[in-house]
Amino acid sequence: MSQGPDGIDTHGFLGEEFLTWLWFRWEADGGEFSLPGNRIIGVALDDFLAFAAPSDDETEQTLRRGLPTRTAEARTALRQGRRLRKARLLIAEGSRQWSAVLDAASLTLLSVKLPDDAEECESDLDRTNDRSANWLTLHEIVQGLYRLFLQDRLRADYKKTSGELQARWMGS
Amino acid sequence: MAAIRKSGGVVAFHWEGKIADPRDEAFCAALATRRFRSIENAASEEVSIGWVTPADPTGDSFSIEDLEGGTGTWLRVRMDKKSMPKKWLQIHRDAAEKSRGKKLSARERREMKDDLMEKMLPRVLPSITLVDALLYFEQKLVLLFATSKAAREGFGKLFFESFGAPLERANPLSCGRVAGLSSEAQIELERIEPMRWPDNTKPDSRPTRSGSKLVAAEESEA
Repeated sequence: MSQGPDGIDTHGFLGEEFLTWLWFRWEADGGEFSLPGNRIIGVALDDFLAFAAPSDDETEQTLRRGLPTRTAEARTALRQGRRLRKARLLIAEGSRQWSAVLDAASLTLLSVKLPDDAEECESDLDRTNDRSANWLTLHEIVQGLYRLFLQDRLRADYKKTSGELQARWMGS
Repeated sequence: MAAIRKSGGVVAFHWEGKIADPRDEAFCAALATRRFRSIENAASEEVSIGWVTPADPTGDSFSIEDLEGGTGTWLRVRMDKKSMPKKWLQIHRDAAEKSRGKKLSARERREMKDDLMEKMLPRVLPSITLVDALLYFEQKLVLLFATSKAAREGFGKLFFESFGAPLERANPLSCGRVAGLSSEAQIELERIEPMRWPDNTKPDSRPTRSGSKLVAAEESEA
């Protein structure tokens, strides 16, 4: 089991599997997810990827700028069976779009950019209220996506179904 | 009072149990028990961490209106740290050694440091860090707008001292536990092991007769 810096079991590997699954679902299904409440969420990977080192002695690989998911280095890392440790995600719901780097092992969101403030915002209080709602929405979307992943990953037949499909995608 | 930030890093925490409702005065009273206390005139190196509000950075007043954060409650922690600038110590030590023509002993260095701290620390202004957080009462969720260990630990301690509820940092396991999964999935979550994806760059990871590289990887592990 993976442990956090405080020695507590955190299942950090599961966060890395989640992030790699998002990439798989983006390429395989177009990155559109249905969350409860008829919410349709779009997810894409952007210009930053970091692959987890397979072991403590091996090298981490970071790819920045342009379209790193299209690079030969990224495909090779997938073929080697490596998981994503961090990636910049673009997340959209309706006209709102967030950008954030997901640190998968801790599920921490870094370098977040919220959607533009709503046009109706006239005061700082309006802006605070709007942003507060957008922070919460981002958190709920990531948790909702993570729940979708877990529902898939924790199925008894995962390795013979979705896991098999993902393995083929990673090896392609 | 400016609006809350719209960019940066954020760490999520959950709490168990009950805390005061942010719409009640009891919430402000809880913050006031651990209000920020100034160390501006302190004559020793120290750190002060306490609640303030976005409207009043002194920690002298707490009102429900000052915590208004739309769907959330806007919390602000002030962390002041007073420390002796190391370069001042070095300058004084160099001057003393130059005028004497020889190095100071360890005891002399210690005495000089104590003397300087006593004289200078009351004149040194503390460094100030303000850390914001949004508390979503219904969701039992806190989003902390700082990712450093010092900020996370300082905030968690302050929250516990004020509200009596420990914060748990979100991570893949804790988020899974509160995701509303089926009981079978919950059991599986606790015992799950990492997926070993096959290394397709190695010649011995050829597909088996079933065509499954994933199964092949599991077989080779076994």
